[in-house]
Amino acid sequence: MTTATSIPNSPTAAGGERARSTLLHIAAWPWRAINWFGGSVERHWKNITAAFVQVWANKTRSVLTALGIIIAVTSTITVVSFVQGFGNYVTDMLRGFGTNMVFVIPSMPSGVQGRMMGRVVMDIDDVRAVGAQCDKVRRITPLMFSNVTIEYGHEKITDVNLRGTTEQFQTIRSFYADEGRFFGPMDVDSGAYVCALGRDVLKDLEADESIVGDFIYLNEHRFKVLGLLEKKGAAFDESQDRIVLIPHTTGVKMFPFLSRFLPMVLEATSEEDVEEASLQLTKVLRTRHNIQPGQPNDFRILRQDEILRDFQKVQMVATSVLAGIVGISLIVGGVGIMNIMLVSVTERTREIGLRKSIGGRRRDIMAQFLTEAIVLSTLGGVVGILLGYGICAVASLHPSMVEVKVPIWVVAMALGFSAGVGIVFGIIPAFKAAILHPIDALRHE
Amino acid sequence: MIASNESKGSSLIELVDLTKIYRVGTEIVNALRGVSLTIRENEYVAIMGPSGSGKSTMMNILGCLDVPTSGKYVLRGQDVSTLSQSRLARIRGRQIGFVFQTFELLPRTTALKNVELPLMYAQVSRKKQRAMAALKRVGLEDRATHRPNQLSGGQKQRVAIARALAQTPDIILADEPTGNLDSKTGEEIMAIFDSLHAEGQTIIVVTHEEEIAARCRRVIRLHDGMIASDETISPVSAPAPRERVTTP
Repeated sequence: MTTATSIPNSPTAAGGERARSTLLHIAAWPWRAINWFGGSVERHWKNITAAFVQVWANKTRSVLTALGIIIAVTSTITVVSFVQGFGNYVTDMLRGFGTNMVFVIPSMPSGVQGRMMGRVVMDIDDVRAVGAQCDKVRRITPLMFSNVTIEYGHEKITDVNLRGTTEQFQTIRSFYADEGRFFGPMDVDSGAYVCALGRDVLKDLEADESIVGDFIYLNEHRFKVLGLLEKKGAAFDESQDRIVLIPHTTGVKMFPFLSRFLPMVLEATSEEDVEEASLQLTKVLRTRHNIQPGQPNDFRILRQDEILRDFQKVQMVATSVLAGIVGISLIVGGVGIMNIMLVSVTERTREIGLRKSIGGRRRDIMAQFLTEAIVLSTLGGVVGILLGYGICAVASLHPSMVEVKVPIWVVAMALGFSAGVGIVFGIIPAFKAAILHPIDALRHE
Repeated sequence: MIASNESKGSSLIELVDLTKIYRVGTEIVNALRGVSLTIRENEYVAIMGPSGSGKSTMMNILGCLDVPTSGKYVLRGQDVSTLSQSRLARIRGRQIGFVFQTFELLPRTTALKNVELPLMYAQVSRKKQRAMAALKRVGLEDRATHRPNQLSGGQKQRVAIARALAQTPDIILADEPTGNLDSKTGEEIMAIFDSLHAEGQTIIVVTHEEEIAARCRRVIRLHDGMIASDETISPVSAPAPRERVTTP
């Protein structure tokens, strides 16, 4: 009665109360469903233990029944873990480049507008201007791309990546010489014929570290080897160690046409400033290249954080598509469970009749068989998870394999889905058992 | 407990003009055509009749496994002929104890757990003690942890009787309880029924064996779905065999 009088005084409060009680009502329904079915925790426990007894008593059949679920869960776990493992590897690698790094590459805009702009030019003056005018750029270096043939003694190797750059490169890319030294500013200014070699080049030349201080031939130009670069490993299946670094000034002497096609790589003052640095350099380059408002840029900016974000997007899509495809096999596994449960209900018709005659209600029988289906499918899920773990652990043992770790969310999802499959595909057999007439069930032969 | 004077017991079961009509395919079977009957507490009744006489139907209705097409079935003052499936299950679980010809024990389940089963559905407390007490009454307390495949036929049926006794039912309904047993074992089983009756239990046995029926105090014969005869046998014909219960 007190609530009845208070409602007109505070309609909003009453509305909130009602909404809350409705929410509680909805939130409580699984619990109430469990209660309605089983009655007590003890009875659910009895059903679960009875289901285990049943599963154990028919070991072969149980394994065959759950096989679909086992395979589905195993492949889900394996596939998702592999994708995640590779993804983490690539992400770490991209992070290793430094997240405040920005590449700028001269690039002709596509379409008519691009063609109207004529030749695309980016040279060392652009690099210097960006370095001088952008206060969010901490370091900057040109990065000339080419290939060379290397000769050393009797060895000759072709198609080695050549990069013409400055001493800043090592800090920006965290790519240092761990034997001898990197070339310095004076080498760059003078265009000295000096170089630093990657470890794979060394290996291909069948040389050892005594090559430092020695001379090699790059496209028939004599270069002094100043240092050896530390090992970086492969990125996207391409060795980062099959590389020769020379001063860009020397590079321009070797490949004069590349002086007008000179990409640059720069480091923003911080990760947050990458955006601002990109804006600044865009402004500088557009002004220098006389690009009118409305015209597209004649260069492309590749930002580390954007590459990372794009990659993670791709990784997420790949994970969900693969998980989805594999998830379909869970349905197949569920159908297997349903089949065997239907057989089981038929086989145990007399037991159902007996249970009914000694007081088992429809819902009790339903709960019993549903529990059995859920236990069966969840056990299949558990076995699948263990197998998935095993496969990932074995795969990780291979030396050239990335580390495959099973993400905990996949395990939770696999368990949840296999239990869900048990519920969905257990309902029909359980219902069939529940609606059996006790007399017919008892008379069943 | 009143040992043998069942006429003094109050009315436990009242059937009023009960009929049951089945449809088997296109054929209509009048299994029961107007049965009226009163069974009092602590009666020991045999229901007899040739196959097709309606005794199974009668047993199903008495056991609340089925409902009559028309007529009334009053069990301890409650009209059960119109109850829902769920309420009927509750009555089966608490007021009726079934004993079947084929025992119907759960395989791979110990004798004790089999006896506990109805208690689990009835959601009562102290299940283990009650189940143990019921096993004791049939003299099988030392077989509590045995599984049905480790028990003899007679022992199986005694477990089944213990299961029927576990929730202290109003009636024990036994359907050919000795049908799958040799005569000596059958004798033992009937001795248990005799002693339960002596302790005050109401028992209804459906049988076609005259020797079994002879142990009961009242024999109802059905024919073509109607009661052909209903005679009360004098208590002298069957001795109260309490001491036989414990003999294996």
